[in-house]
Amino acid sequence: MERKLLLEVKNLVTEFKTDDGYVKAVNDVSFNLYRGETVGIVGESGSGKSVTSLSIMSLIPNPPGRIASGQIIYHAKDGRTVDLTKIPEAEMRKFRGDEIAMIFQEPMTSLNPVFTCGDQVMEAIILHQKKTKQEARDLTLKMFEKVRLPDPARVLDAYPHQLSGGQKQRVMIAMAMSCNPSILIADEPTTALDVTVQATILDLMNQLRHEIDSSVIFITHDLGVIAEIADDVIVMYKGKIVEQGSVMDIFSNPKHPYTRSLLACRPPLQTRLRKLPTVVDFMREENGQIIELPTTVKEAIDKNVITQAETDRRREDLLSRKPILEIKGLQTWFPTKHDFFGRVTGYVKAVDDVSFNVHEGETVGLVGESGCGKTTLGRTILRLAPATGGQVLFEGRNVLDLPANELKDLRRHMQIIFQDPYSSLNPRMSIGAAIQEPMSVHGIHANEVQRKEKVLELLAKVNMRPEHYYRYPHEFSGGQRQRICIARALALNPKFIICDESVSALDVSVQAQVLNLLIQLREEFKFTYIFISHDLSVVKFMSDRMVVMNKGKIEEMGPSDEIYNNPQKEYTRKLINAIPKGELEDIRKRMSVTVGP
Amino acid sequence: MLFIKYISKRILNGLLVIVGVVVFIFVLFNVLPVNSANMTLGQRTDKASLKAIEREFRLHLPWYSRLAYYFNDLSPVSAHRLSDDSDPSWISKKQVSFVKLFSVGENTVVLKQPNLGRSFQSRRLVSEIVMENFPATAVLALSAMLLASVIGIVLGVFAALRQYSFWDNAILFISNIGISQPSFFAAFIIAMVFGYYLHHLTGLNPQGPLIWVDDEGNTVYVWRNLILPVIALGIRPVAIIAQLTRSSMLDTLSMDFVRTAKAKGLSYYVIIFKHALRNALNPVITSISGWLAALFTGAYFIEEVFNYNGLGSQTIYAIRNFDFPVVMGLSLFVAVVFVVMNILTDMLYALVDPRVRIQ
Repeated sequence: MERKLLLEVKNLVTEFKTDDGYVKAVNDVSFNLYRGETVGIVGESGSGKSVTSLSIMSLIPNPPGRIASGQIIYHAKDGRTVDLTKIPEAEMRKFRGDEIAMIFQEPMTSLNPVFTCGDQVMEAIILHQKKTKQEARDLTLKMFEKVRLPDPARVLDAYPHQLSGGQKQRVMIAMAMSCNPSILIADEPTTALDVTVQATILDLMNQLRHEIDSSVIFITHDLGVIAEIADDVIVMYKGKIVEQGSVMDIFSNPKHPYTRSLLACRPPLQTRLRKLPTVVDFMREENGQIIELPTTVKEAIDKNVITQAETDRRREDLLSRKPILEIKGLQTWFPTKHDFFGRVTGYVKAVDDVSFNVHEGETVGLVGESGCGKTTLGRTILRLAPATGGQVLFEGRNVLDLPANELKDLRRHMQIIFQDPYSSLNPRMSIGAAIQEPMSVHGIHANEVQRKEKVLELLAKVNMRPEHYYRYPHEFSGGQRQRICIARALALNPKFIICDESVSALDVSVQAQVLNLLIQLREEFKFTYIFISHDLSVVKFMSDRMVVMNKGKIEEMGPSDEIYNNPQKEYTRKLINAIPKGELEDIRKRMSVTVGP
Repeated sequence: MLFIKYISKRILNGLLVIVGVVVFIFVLFNVLPVNSANMTLGQRTDKASLKAIEREFRLHLPWYSRLAYYFNDLSPVSAHRLSDDSDPSWISKKQVSFVKLFSVGENTVVLKQPNLGRSFQSRRLVSEIVMENFPATAVLALSAMLLASVIGIVLGVFAALRQYSFWDNAILFISNIGISQPSFFAAFIIAMVFGYYLHHLTGLNPQGPLIWVDDEGNTVYVWRNLILPVIALGIRPVAIIAQLTRSSMLDTLSMDFVRTAKAKGLSYYVIIFKHALRNALNPVITSISGWLAALFTGAYFIEEVFNYNGLGSQTIYAIRNFDFPVVMGLSLFVAVVFVVMNILTDMLYALVDPRVRIQ
């Protein structure tokens, strides 16, 4: 079959003005997009992948950004060939949303909160296709059916805040697809979503692009997702393309060490690892030069494998110890309906009759979709959310009816690390002060000097440098901030830590580093963890035992490997199937179906 | 349905606030060591007045009965012994019109307008004084606020769209001056410059009321007397609304949904005025309505400087003369205006932002 060129990006350079002059966010990037095909761009935050896509849309904020050189040649529907970097804004506007459409990462904030979902999709249709309001409304309804929104007629008149994250992303897809674009740019469209929702969205996008015959540029930090959707892959690192090729080539024979590290850093499902391979296992950087190490993906994984015998020994050891935490019939109900006088008439049962034990030194994973009650359960254990019934015994004392002064004492021993490293640090507090604060509150260590020494020690523990003490949160990346949050949790020398989706907001490569750090700290300080995540592969990597939650109740629980290898419930199977596995066999199967004659 | 429930809750809340305010004001004037009635009595010598004031303030009764009677006076539906002249519940029955509803024993339940008592000075009903002065103040406050909102929002949007430009900096600088100056200062300057020095050009007077009654008893409206007070009163709100609109607009323009709108291919003006402005105005609306309530009652200095008869100048006059029924009535009226404005704001807010309706 002959491939028809649709978009040629040639030597694109996009730069941003900073105090130190112009910095190249995209540096000499070239690739081709063919009709009906999908190009995946993969890389970590700051690799320039989003800037590349915004350059194609001419949406680089100017100032401070500008396209410094290069061409973006687009073969338009009417047969013209235009350079998107040269055409005037008014002409570009006709392409945007009509021939080149875009879906963004954050479905929560990408829709305007004061207009209905229907209005926002109709707006694009009326603008580009010159339809009447009624025709646009009918078309929108059809699009909503196509993206499989439940009750499309209701969504038409619903405001964005009345929909879930997955539903909002479907509305965004409907909006982008409504004018049958030639090119659909999807910038991390599933990153903010649960794995199960991600699976359905990927499925939907695969199907729709064939129906509408669009080419897709799919941007993500996760090679596992790329495997499910792309024909060609571009791997970007620090603004440059380090490797590009067909998806089969990249997965079967990755050449660049960075690509290899991306392939290796996702928690594997078949084996149990001591630690995850990270970028440093594959390459070093000296003076901006990448020095390749000869490690292959297989070697990096194999050297960390834990044998079955080791796993069994650890389990026996853990079970012989007394439980540090016993949860008995715990309930957390939130009032949802009130009568006129404010009396409660209806509840949402976020946690409903949950019981399990956590042994000293053990890591128990809590896994389930958003809204299953796992986060509420974690917060109820720490009394950050009010329990409706049941008991939480920590070392034999019931946490739920401790008086305030004893509770404060208890909080020293129980800490939590939250999901969003951006909002859980006070932007006006230097990180040294942030880590030191809990120590001052609890009166640990004799004076400020000793406390500062301890903070520096903790910073070293989480691989941060002493000079970071006086810096502020905005100067750090997401992964670094999460490490700061970990250091803050460690400041009180706790026995028990709850990690609430602590790595969900991070790139897979950074996620691997943070997971390794948590494991390393567990070995060193003998912590007990409850590890909460929607991603079963991450929970499986971290935990000795796994608790699967659904609708506030426990679906099943048991040793992690057993749950994965032999799931008893349909719900657990759904969670397992949703994980993007990036296996060659699956890619081969998909390619033979989609790239037919 | 949700909207009606939301609003009825707000109204119920508002009623509770008013009850609280009534109790507070009553306590302030009746229970505190400074006894307003005694102070008033000190000025009077004739026996008839003494007795009238004693009855009017129900000084022969304990404070809790007085409070109960005060509520009875204020309530539109109240109980009275109409036949009994010594009944403390009904001082001014000859002047207040009412409709008899039904009788329980000696008591008759009537429907009337809230009775705020009488002025010591003029012997007129306080409610009459309030109603007489309210229109002039309301016109002043509404005009000032309307002017301030339009100019402030236009300046704010203009500055936001040209962030860091010369015009943006100029608007910021001038509005900072506008925020910092005290309103009576601006009032004096404006009255002197435009009403006195430039009188031959503007034709405006430095002082004068909007509404007055001429020698033949006709009500006369002098609209040009409104112009200078409106400008003096509007300066601060203009400056604050401009700055608030600017920062809110800048916040909104950096939001993801604005990027979505751009990616849809919408034109610059549709993005600014349809998608961004409506979101940016939410905090501005709150501030405007808060200001409006304050201006309704807080124009004291402006009214005084321009000799513009309204609630403000009336309050100052009453305080000077220890005319406590008038001061109490005006304070209570102010509270009610605030509560009503807040309920209106909440309704407006719910209409503009669908997210508010759900909670």
